[in-house]
Amino acid sequence: MSLTRMFKIFRKDLALGPRSPIFMWAIILPFALTFILQVAFGSLFSAKPRLAIVDQGASEITASIKQMDGIELTLLDSADEMRAGVEANDFDAGLVLSSGFDAAVKSGDKPLLDLYIGGESLASNRIILSVTTLDLVRQVEDSAPPVDVRVENFGNEGLPISVRLVPVIMMYALFIAGAFVPASSLVEEKENGTLSALLVSPVKASEVLLAKGLLGTTLAFVMAFMTLFLNDALGGQPFLLVVVVLAAAAFSSVLGVAIGAASRDSASMFTLVKGSGIFLFAPVAFYLFPEWPQWIAKLFPTYWTIDPIWQVAVLGKGFDAVWLDLLVALAIALALIPLIRLLSIRMQRKLVAE
Amino acid sequence: MTDAAIKVEDITYSYGDLQAVKGISFEVQPGEILGFLGPNGAGKSTTIKMLTGQIAPKSGLAQILGKDITLDDPDIQARIGVCFEEKNLYLSMSGKENLDFYASLYGIKDAGSVEILRRVGLADRAKDRVKTYSKGMRQRMMISRAFINSPDVLFLDEPTDGLDPVTSASIRNTIKEEAGRGAAVLLTTHDMFEADELSNRVAFLNDGVIVALDTPENLKLKYGKRSVKIRLRDGAGVREETVALDAPESGELIKAAVGSGEVLTIHTEEATLEDIFIKMTGRGLAG
Repeated sequence: MSLTRMFKIFRKDLALGPRSPIFMWAIILPFALTFILQVAFGSLFSAKPRLAIVDQGASEITASIKQMDGIELTLLDSADEMRAGVEANDFDAGLVLSSGFDAAVKSGDKPLLDLYIGGESLASNRIILSVTTLDLVRQVEDSAPPVDVRVENFGNEGLPISVRLVPVIMMYALFIAGAFVPASSLVEEKENGTLSALLVSPVKASEVLLAKGLLGTTLAFVMAFMTLFLNDALGGQPFLLVVVVLAAAAFSSVLGVAIGAASRDSASMFTLVKGSGIFLFAPVAFYLFPEWPQWIAKLFPTYWTIDPIWQVAVLGKGFDAVWLDLLVALAIALALIPLIRLLSIRMQRKLVAE
Repeated sequence: MTDAAIKVEDITYSYGDLQAVKGISFEVQPGEILGFLGPNGAGKSTTIKMLTGQIAPKSGLAQILGKDITLDDPDIQARIGVCFEEKNLYLSMSGKENLDFYASLYGIKDAGSVEILRRVGLADRAKDRVKTYSKGMRQRMMISRAFINSPDVLFLDEPTDGLDPVTSASIRNTIKEEAGRGAAVLLTTHDMFEADELSNRVAFLNDGVIVALDTPENLKLKYGKRSVKIRLRDGAGVREETVALDAPESGELIKAAVGSGEVLTIHTEEATLEDIFIKMTGRGLAG
């Protein structure tokens, strides 16, 4: 087998990619899905409350707000600038913390705190900023709230739906780019007869299949990372993330090559994809519905590649949490290689018989 | 005699119970064009598939350039060129991109693609996508792709099928040039005139066996009818006389016929390759 020839075919496929609708679909789909799902369930258009503070001392309130993810804080130097900003709706609210503010609160002097609210700000943002400010003042005063609050949650506890949708988008990105692109590329070569032309040149069938696999892996890797980036789910361990995404991309492309080798033409490929789609996508449903018995997800092969991404990118876990998943995925991929070899022999026989 | 570029001894192939090739043998020398004539289903394409390494013969010996083709040796594949009957080009790529890509698979860095396209009259369309080419242009592309590695052995499957006379003539010239360079050419065709014009020898293939293998001239002499047909006009109108050429008195008979009226036409009654094929097999080439 020649790696040089394999790379030549890969380069050709990559160059032809933008001329293929399925290739372009694979690139556009994760963007489109992210956008649609973020609009429907996420926070794409629900911006954080914007608070401007003029801190003339070094108030604990400012330090606390800086730590909060849910508030967009801007520090300004002058009260005039802050008021102008609130009037212009650049900020939802603004406040001035005088140099002795914290000390005055702690001594029980009850200093005046002016909170400026923008007239065009959302009611929800006004409430968030007002309640947060008062709560922080109480913390400075070191006083307990006058009531005990009992919180009762309705609906599912845990991660918000926008986060639980990440595996769905990820699965689409991996499957379309990693499996569908190489499968359709191989089937197209069969239908156009170019595969026969390749196989009477020095090229071997294994080189063609590897080139298609590399195409799927590369595209799926890039699109999976784009998807994670768009969904703000890059975790905290870049190297491990590269490993788990690469493993998932390679796994998808192995499936894609198998589908491509097994399909006689586009019609049979689409039938196979439609037939196997539910089987491949089933694990992501268990992220959407965490109350379902999670062990069922492990019965599906794609679980073993999507779960490491979930663990590392979304939950921020380390290698300890994913090594077994990766091992199982590797075992499944290795088990598929003899099948692909058989399908490749069958494919060549069919090509010649046609 | 030099070593045969293609050497085939008693090869067979079956598709299930159907025996497509039933033990054929032939050789093609470097620089020789062997025309493979036969109707659909005669075993021509199966023979080419065996000789290009796409399928392995069930039995017999098939050697290309002295090497067994069943060894799946990339070195052999690197020295053959194949022009398929079906036009299997990358339609989204330009003519030049197609040739450059295939050249790269043979390890050729500078294939001179534009020059090759110039040989088949496509240099001015080198940068256009193949999908915009006409049928004749695509066929010329197929031929030029088969030549990209300056092959020692060329397999051409119906290279002028369905093309206009001008394009066909252009392709035939190119094939002659390749043979002139020293390439051994195995040409399958339905077209008896093409086979006659191009082939040094022709093989008649019928039902998986070679029923005749010789030069076109010898086949015509052996199986054809040697006679002259003379068309005359005299007082009774227009008439035809046929004179056999093998009789001792043939010369006198021709002279008498020519003197018996106004000669309109004189034709030799030479058999075509198709006539001979029909005579030998009882079926036509187009069947």
